Amino acid sequence: MNFVLGTALLAVVTALACALPGTFIVLRKNSMLVDAISHAVLPGIVVGYFFTQDLESPLLIVGAALAGLVVAVGSEWLGRTGLLTGDAPQGLVFPALFSAGVILVTAKFANVHLDTHAVLVGDLNLAAWEQLTVGGVSIGPTYLYVMLAVLALNCAFLGAGYSRLKVTTFDPQFAGSLGIRVGLVNTAFMFVVSLTVTAAFHAAGAILVIALMIVPPATAYLLSRRLPVLFALTAVIAAGGALAGFWIAYELDAATSAGMAVFYGLVFVVGYLGTRIEQRRRHRLHAVRAVSTAQSAS
Amino acid sequence: MSLLEFFTNHTYRMVLAGTVTIGFVAGALGSFAYLRKQSLISDVIAHAALPGTLLAFLAAVLLAGTGGRNMLGLIAGAVVVGTIAVLFANGVARTSKISIDTAMAVSLTIFFGAGMLLLRIIANGEFPGKGGIQDYLFGNASVITIADLITSLTVGAVALALMLLFWKEFALRTFDPDHSSVLGFSARAIDTLMFTTIVIATVIGVKAVGLVLMVAFVVTPPAAARQWTRTLPGMVTLSAVFGALGSGVGAYLSIVLGNVPTGPLIVLTLFALFLVSLLASPRRSIVTAVLTRRRARAALKRELTGKGSAA
Repeated sequence: MNFVLGTALLAVVTALACALPGTFIVLRKNSMLVDAISHAVLPGIVVGYFFTQDLESPLLIVGAALAGLVVAVGSEWLGRTGLLTGDAPQGLVFPALFSAGVILVTAKFANVHLDTHAVLVGDLNLAAWEQLTVGGVSIGPTYLYVMLAVLALNCAFLGAGYSRLKVTTFDPQFAGSLGIRVGLVNTAFMFVVSLTVTAAFHAAGAILVIALMIVPPATAYLLSRRLPVLFALTAVIAAGGALAGFWIAYELDAATSAGMAVFYGLVFVVGYLGTRIEQRRRHRLHAVRAVSTAQSAS
Repeated sequence: MSLLEFFTNHTYRMVLAGTVTIGFVAGALGSFAYLRKQSLISDVIAHAALPGTLLAFLAAVLLAGTGGRNMLGLIAGAVVVGTIAVLFANGVARTSKISIDTAMAVSLTIFFGAGMLLLRIIANGEFPGKGGIQDYLFGNASVITIADLITSLTVGAVALALMLLFWKEFALRTFDPDHSSVLGFSARAIDTLMFTTIVIATVIGVKAVGLVLMVAFVVTPPAAARQWTRTLPGMVTLSAVFGALGSGVGAYLSIVLGNVPTGPLIVLTLFALFLVSLLASPRRSIVTAVLTRRRARAALKRELTGKGSAA
C-alpha cells in the first residue's frame, strides 16, 4: 500500500476509534478527564517498562491504560470524600502521576530511549513507518491494524453496552433503581477510554488525544438532539476532519495531530457560530410573532 | 551541601527565588479558580500560553526587529492569548448547550494545536533565538536570569495588587454571583479581570516549570489550604504560603539530590503537602471525618442502650 494512503487511513481509523467513546464522555460532562488520563500514559509506560524491560511489549499498553484508570478512579474517590470541590480532583492527581513518571525516567532509565517528547507530541508518520507485509505485498502500516482492533473493540463495547451506557449517562439514579451496577459500568467505560487513549497516543501524542476524543462529539452535540444522530454526525466529522487535518499537516510539514486538532477546532467554531445565528434568528422570529399577535389582539 | 553554600551560588539562588515567586502568586490566585470550581482552567491557560508566546516571539523578531527572547514581551503575548482562550471557553459554555468542561477541552486543543503548527513554521524558518518544544513542555528552572526574576516579580505583583484592589468584587462574584449582579457590578467585567489575574499567575510559571505541570501550581495549594481554613483571606494567604513553601522545598531538594528535574519534584512536594492536609488537618480531613463518625456512633449506641448520661 502507498505510504501516504496508509498513513491517511491510520489517521481516519484513529480518529474514529477516539471519537465514538468520546460522545459519552461529552454527554457525561467529563471531558477534561481525557486530558488527565492521557497524561498518566507516561508513568504507566515507565512502570510497564520496569516490569517488561521491553519497549515493544504490548503489556505496556495495558500498563498505561491501568495508569489512566488510576487517574479516573482516584479523582472520583477524591471527589467523593466531599472535601474538595469542582474539577480540582483531576487537576490534583494527574500532575502528580506525571511528575512521578518524569522523575522515574530521568533517574532510572536515562539510558533507555524513552522520549518524553515523542510520548507527548506523537508522530503519525513514525507510527505508520512499520509496514505489515503478507506474502511479500505491503498491506499498510502495522499500527493501522492495532487501531482497527481498538476501533472494533470500542464498537463492540458501545454496541453491547449501549442501553446501559445511555441510562447511566442520562439518569444514574434511575439506572441504579433498575438494578444496573452504575459504578461497574462507569469503571468499565473508563477502562475502555483509557485503553483507547493509550493506543492512540502513538499516533496523536498524549496532549492532543483529547482533540480527537472531545472536539468531534462536541461539534456533533451542538448540531443534534438525538443520540443516533449524534453518533452518526460524530463519525462523519471525525473521519472528514482526520483527512482534512492530515492534508493541512502534509502541506505545512507539521505534526498530523496538530493539523487535525486545528481543523476540528475550526469545524467546532463554524458549528458554534451557526447555532448562534440560528438562535438569534429564532428569537427575532418569536419576537415578531409575539408583536403581531399582540397587535391583532388589540 | 551546606545552606551557606546553597545560598551563595547564583544559579541556586535564582532557581529558588524564581520558583518561590511562581508558587506564591499561583497559590494565591489559584484560590479563586478553585472556589469558582474551575481549577482546570489553568491547564487551558498553560496550553494556550504556547501560541501566545510564539506569536509574541514572531512579532518581536519580524516587527520590532529585536531579539525574540524578551521575557516581558513573551509574557504579554501569553497573557493576551491565554485570556482569549479563557473567554472563549467561558463564552461557549454560557451561550450554548456545551458544558464548561467540554468547552475548556475544545479551547485547550484549538490553542495548543495552533501553537504546534506555529512552532513548526518557526522551526522551518530562520529566526534568531528560537527554541524547541521541549523548552515549553517541561520548562527549565535553571535558566532563570535576574531579568526573568524581576519580570516575574513585577508581573506577579501587578496580579496580586489587582486581586487586593478588587477583593470585595472578586469575593462577591465568587460566592454569590446573583447578588453581585443585583448590586450592579458587571459580571463580565469582574470575571474577565479575575480570570486575567489567574492567567498571569499561570503564565509566569510556564518558562520555569513547563506547560504540562503548571496546572499543579494553581490547583494543589488551594486544595491543601481549603482543609485548614474557613475564611477567604485565610485561604488565599495560606494557599500562597503553601505554594511558596512547596516550591522552595521542591527546588531545594532537586538541587541537593542532583540530577532530578525541578518542576516535577516541586509538584510531588506540593502533592505531599496536599495529602497531609487531606488526611490529617484538624478541621476537615479524612481522619477527622472518621473520628467524628465513630464518636457519633458510640454516642448513639450509648443513648439507645440506655447507658451513660441520662440526658
